[in-house]
Amino acid sequence: MNDLVATAEKPADVTVSAKPRGDWAHRLLVLLPGIALLAFWQWSSGRLIKEIYISKPTAIAQRLFELFASGEIYPHLWTTGQELVMGYGIGVAAGILGGYALGRSPRLARIFEPYVMAFYGVPKIALAPLFIIWFGIGVGSKVALASIMVFFLVFYNVYAGVRGVDREVVNLALVMGANQRQLTYHVYLPAAAPYVILGMRMAVPYAVIGVIVGEFTSSIQGLGLFIHEASSTYDPAGVFAGIVILLAFVVGANAVTGRLERRLLRWRKPSGQGPSDI
Amino acid sequence: MSDAVLAFEGIGQDFPAPGSQAPIRVLDGLSFEVASGKFVAVIGPSGCGKSTLLQMAAGLLKPTRGTVRHRGRLIDAVNREVGFVPQQAQLFPWKTLSENVELPLLLRGIAVAERRQRVAEALASVGLSGFEDYYPSQLSGGMQKRGSIARTLIYRPDVILMDEPFGALDAQTRMVMQHDLQTLAQDAGATILFVTHDITEAVVLADSVVIMGQRPSHLLATIPIDLARPRDVFEPFRNPGYEAAYDAVWSVFRSQINIRHRAPAMEATP
Ligand SMILES: Nc1ncnc2c1ncn2[C@@H]1O[C@H](COP(=O)(O)OP(=O)(O)O)[C@@H](O)[C@H]1O
Ligand SMILES: [Mg+2]
Repeated sequence: MNDLVATAEKPADVTVSAKPRGDWAHRLLVLLPGIALLAFWQWSSGRLIKEIYISKPTAIAQRLFELFASGEIYPHLWTTGQELVMGYGIGVAAGILGGYALGRSPRLARIFEPYVMAFYGVPKIALAPLFIIWFGIGVGSKVALASIMVFFLVFYNVYAGVRGVDREVVNLALVMGANQRQLTYHVYLPAAAPYVILGMRMAVPYAVIGVIVGEFTSSIQGLGLFIHEASSTYDPAGVFAGIVILLAFVVGANAVTGRLERRLLRWRKPSGQGPSDI
Repeated sequence: MSDAVLAFEGIGQDFPAPGSQAPIRVLDGLSFEVASGKFVAVIGPSGCGKSTLLQMAAGLLKPTRGTVRHRGRLIDAVNREVGFVPQQAQLFPWKTLSENVELPLLLRGIAVAERRQRVAEALASVGLSGFEDYYPSQLSGGMQKRGSIARTLIYRPDVILMDEPFGALDAQTRMVMQHDLQTLAQDAGATILFVTHDITEAVVLADSVVIMGQRPSHLLATIPIDLARPRDVFEPFRNPGYEAAYDAVWSVFRSQINIRHRAPAMEATP
């Protein structure tokens, strides 16, 4: 009896302990190309290419340390962080509301779709100087630029998601007794959730582009300004340090949205097909 | 007349035809009734407008001509007193099985305690106890279908509309489902309007079979099936009187199928 239990438990035990180990091996494998690239960069700097062009990883790390130790970077981080969070938040909220409204109402869609289509075609970066004039060189213009870039991505995904909801499913809910509010909560939102989240994930880098381009164009403070100044004073280590910080932000935001996705979409089969990514 | 739960009166339906000005006439002057507690099967060739009829009974589609009445009341909005079991189970994939089955009660504002109890009963009645927390994607086709039926039975609708519910199932599962449906319907005293294109299924399950013709379709015949219940769905031919009942339906239906057989044959002969 005891033996049986022991042997029965063994396989489970093995898989439990084997999983993290496989995970670590996988992570190491993922890190390998990165490490190789860094090593090659370090080696080639000063040998193949002048250091003034490409700096080198150790110098960048050194620079990052100084920036944080002296506190020089914090005002820039604070400004850019604010712009990113506000731009992203406003863009996502407006995109969900607009996409949902137009997705639900064919009449609204017929009226507004041509306009949205037309504005979609405008390269939003070209609006940067205009936004500086309208909203000043402070936080406002960057938030506007980031949120408009985020808006269109989220809008289109949510719009497509809501429009794609199966008519039969909606009819079923109506016959079961759903009113409009219940229909939204129990059918449209969950059905569109994969698209909302896809839009949110795709929008993260666009928020960064919007904010940095805005800061490049004209600003008093922010990571974009910091990078811009570093490059105009021939300080590649400073440029790369700024880029590393942006990279860290994007990776962090991706982890957050990825976690959100796993939480909200746990009903989907692991192999389940969602909306295609681009 | 007065005991009719559903009454279709002179139903006609036109749909706009893609790429042509003239609409397609799908249904053309169709009248029949579904009496309380009866199991009525509708058969007809594919595309003759069977699903369209159910849509009308559910108040999701307004007929171009004629009216549909539910216990005398004209259906002119979504009819919440019917239950609908579609061809695909259509459980909501973002809800667990028990959340799916609970939904109609939740939408109708029934209290939590009663919901719990009725969900447990409904799942037990279709043999799905123990699968409460499974998502539909984790269930087999037959289990999803059972869930779909439980979701409909749970709010005890006045009529249950079923649109080829077992069409997509394998033969074995289908027979078991037919058997269980017969039992459930009898126990609940349910009124059922059941669309199928399978004559055997119609004859073995129904109290009467409504036969529709090719588009634009009208009623070809309504044939009462007076076989004793419970009927053997696994070996239909063992039910006394089955062959006569099948022949009665088949003799009407055959005329429809012959038309289809001949058309390509005539093209082939030089
Ligand atoms: N919303 C619609 N618009 C246009 N044509 C439709 C629509 N719904 C059904 N039809 C047409 O009506 C006919 C009958 O459809 P349906 O009721 O689904 O047939 P069945 O269920 O008997 O196979 C088909 O030819 C179909 O193309
Ligand atoms: Mg059909």
